[in-house]
Amino acid sequence: MSRLFKLIQNEQAKIYIRKSTWIMYIILFAIIIAGAFLTDKFSDLNEDYQGDDWREVLQEENKDLQKEMEKDEYAASINPETIAKNNYYLENDIQPAPYGTWNFVTENAVLMMLVSLLTIIVAGGIIANEFRWGSIKLLLIRPISRSGILLSKYLATLLFGLYTTIFLFITSWIVGAIFFGVGDMNPEIVKQTANGFTSVSLLQETFTQYGYQLVPLIMMTTLAFMISAVFRNSSLAIGISIFLMMGGNTFIGFLAEKEWAKYILFANLDLSQFADGRTPMVNGLTLEFSITMLAIYYVVFLAMSWIIFTKRDVAGQ
Amino acid sequence: MTVAAMELVNLKKSIGNKDIIKGLSFSINRGEVFGFIGPNGAGKTTTIRMMVGLINISEGDVLIQGHSIKKDFKQAVREVGAIVENPEMYPFMTGWQNLKHYARMMPGVTEERMLKVVKLMGMEKAIKEKVGKYSLGMRQRLGIAQALLHKPSILILDEPTNGLDPAGIREMRAHIRHLAREENVAVIVSSHLLSEIEQMCDRIGVIKNGEMVTLQQVGAQDNDNLVHQLTVTPITKAKQFIQEEFALQVVEQDGILSFHCKKEQMPAVIKSLVENNCSIYEANVVNGTLEDQFFELIGENTIE
Repeated sequence: MSRLFKLIQNEQAKIYIRKSTWIMYIILFAIIIAGAFLTDKFSDLNEDYQGDDWREVLQEENKDLQKEMEKDEYAASINPETIAKNNYYLENDIQPAPYGTWNFVTENAVLMMLVSLLTIIVAGGIIANEFRWGSIKLLLIRPISRSGILLSKYLATLLFGLYTTIFLFITSWIVGAIFFGVGDMNPEIVKQTANGFTSVSLLQETFTQYGYQLVPLIMMTTLAFMISAVFRNSSLAIGISIFLMMGGNTFIGFLAEKEWAKYILFANLDLSQFADGRTPMVNGLTLEFSITMLAIYYVVFLAMSWIIFTKRDVAGQ
Repeated sequence: MTVAAMELVNLKKSIGNKDIIKGLSFSINRGEVFGFIGPNGAGKTTTIRMMVGLINISEGDVLIQGHSIKKDFKQAVREVGAIVENPEMYPFMTGWQNLKHYARMMPGVTEERMLKVVKLMGMEKAIKEKVGKYSLGMRQRLGIAQALLHKPSILILDEPTNGLDPAGIREMRAHIRHLAREENVAVIVSSHLLSEIEQMCDRIGVIKNGEMVTLQQVGAQDNDNLVHQLTVTPITKAKQFIQEEFALQVVEQDGILSFHCKKEQMPAVIKSLVENNCSIYEANVVNGTLEDQFFELIGENTIE
């Protein structure tokens, strides 16, 4: 067991010693700052509702929205939701909470896409680079099975994804606290569900959002890892995985009508589609079905990597 | 009976229908430097890759201190330190970080041992620098350092003199001899240039098209058939005399007579020439170098 820790330590050292890894973190950091800046500048931060007259403000806003609906068809389609939300605040006598750092952290769950991208880059290179550098030959002539090497590389990749997620989370919180203040320790937000609006804990919402994002991160990373092991080409692994991650949902959009569409990986990646009040992308999808499909894909990806990596000759380029 | 450090048992490799290695059998003992010679494409690197388990063995086996590399990979490879082809280390890490990386992969490699190996290879200064900045010679040394960390009983060096300058080659030879003598390591050195490794090897195996063509001790000479050269006047008379008197084939070239004969025959030849009023200026035994035999054996540098 301690041998495996040492192997993972080796792999992590090789990831974090390189400048390109730190550039990734710098980019992520810059995007978080830019996001905070734009949110501060252009978003509605609930500042209007913070006075004692927040009820009047909400009622006033509803009246304005009603008027707008009479004139504009587009407004007529989207405004009722906002009115319903405002009414929920009024009926339950909940004062809308000010925008705080936890709101910012939750919104930054979309940046998990970027974390996935960075983890895919690491996964795509972790095997292929050893072949490119030629160091694979020195790596595989140690008293360690190839399975052990492969496992350490896979775990190091997942750990990179985990650390980067934690980096995103903590950095967002600190940057958010600087820009918007810490706010309540356990704020509540009003959210639409199948049974109308309810008030939910924002912290719980935050972790749920990040949790949903971990599914595509792990699946696409494992796909990139497999391509890296099979083709020993990092550009190919990174390219294919990122292309599929970005384009996956579009394909499903086109193919949603087909009977077999639900068997495609990308139809099953977003588990939030089964949350309250949402309709799945493809007919016939259920949470249980998606989890089964994800498990099958996951096992296939790992089995492919393992079979190819442990059995194949390591010959010259 | 002592177990050979490494034993190849009818080792074969075929890819598709093509036989790359056609049944190699030989063994190497501790304390011995074995030269593995062959032209490019003869199968040296393929054989070495099989020795360390990088590629699958089609038939036969490699036994390292009695452990099969096929069935008992971990036990077998524990005894081996190797450089396969170029010493490719991580360029973005320092020499020390590279050594640390490999040390973590093997049991019982202490910091002390690492320092000792660094000192042995004379790399104290360069070890803190990034490998990307190393010269090829430095990388070869780091490669050997890496291979020595776990005190292997067999050291496999694929083309260790590749890219080294003459001084570097001399130094490498000294290192390798030292390792075999002092540390009792079996060393396998491959090369396509016999002259570069001839002086450091105890035994040489020549491989051609996946087959061992010859396996011989270095320094063992055929005393019965040495080439002798005489500088003598008058040359035509002397030539005729030797041919008639001793029934030898004599070749005249550039005023020198050359012929094959036994060592013991020479005093008689010289004595009778002097008695017949021939003036001898110089008499030589020409050392038939392995190089000549090597070319005789492998002929043209052809790949089947």
